[in-house]
Amino acid sequence: MVAGRFQTREDRSDDLVDEKALPGRDRQSVMSLVVLLLGLGVGVLVGLLGIGGGVVLVPALVYLLHMDQHVAQGTSLFILLPPLGLGALREYWKQGQVDLRAGVLCAFGILAGGYLGGWIAVPLASRQLKGLFGCFLMLAAVLLWRKPQPQNQRTACAGEEPAGG
Amino acid sequence: MADNLLRSAGIFVAACVCGIASGLFGIGGGVLLVPFLALFFAFGQHRAQGTSLIALIPPTGLLAFIAYAKAGYVSWQAGLLLVPGVFVGGILGSWIAKRLNPRHMRHVFAALMFALGAWQAFTAWRQ
Repeated sequence: MVAGRFQTREDRSDDLVDEKALPGRDRQSVMSLVVLLLGLGVGVLVGLLGIGGGVVLVPALVYLLHMDQHVAQGTSLFILLPPLGLGALREYWKQGQVDLRAGVLCAFGILAGGYLGGWIAVPLASRQLKGLFGCFLMLAAVLLWRKPQPQNQRTACAGEEPAGG
Repeated sequence: MADNLLRSAGIFVAACVCGIASGLFGIGGGVLLVPFLALFFAFGQHRAQGTSLIALIPPTGLLAFIAYAKAGYVSWQAGLLLVPGVFVGGILGSWIAKRLNPRHMRHVFAALMFALGAWQAFTAWRQ
């Protein structure tokens, strides 16, 4: 079945986009291109800011592809499984801007915390989750904005060496 | 030594908080981890970002992902299409990061994030 290309299973979450929002194969392939470009844009932010990218990806999937909040979050988690930041990491590593020990600690912490977070999120109503996500984004934005002594970046890097090692 | 241990424990706890946000909101957690490392543990901005990236190399979201996948909340098609772009974009972004004033790029991004968050909260409230 040609029309069923994007619906290999009955599971609604397997569709690329909401049927009602974007009917027809042409639009489907246009959307595929949009998704590819979206990935590229998100990737630039990953390297630029050292983040996973999900924070931009989730709202993009919700608004551009009309995904349900839960599906957007699940899909975002899926693309974060492979080591996509590896290319970006290499650039930071070459400059010695990586604290390996702290990184490993953080990886374990995120793994454990992620279990708890997923357990909380799945039973929530989509609307509640969407509202929570919005509030979280605003909070994270405030945290990202304010950072002590931004003017002496270099000295801060050098100064933390004794404490870190 | 005790100081070092305390610092490590602190980093672990901070990462757990990031992990909860990661599972709850389907994100990598780096968006919290970077400011946490910079604010509480005196990491330089580039070092915080590099460390956040290495923490995201192992599949840290795996447990959260399983919870979503079990409930059918994953679009595999869109997910697979996004993978190559994010990878290539990541290399591009870190190349740009070396040449930019990190303070400016953080501020632009924070403003964008705040606007996105406000929009999401608003539409959820109106639904």
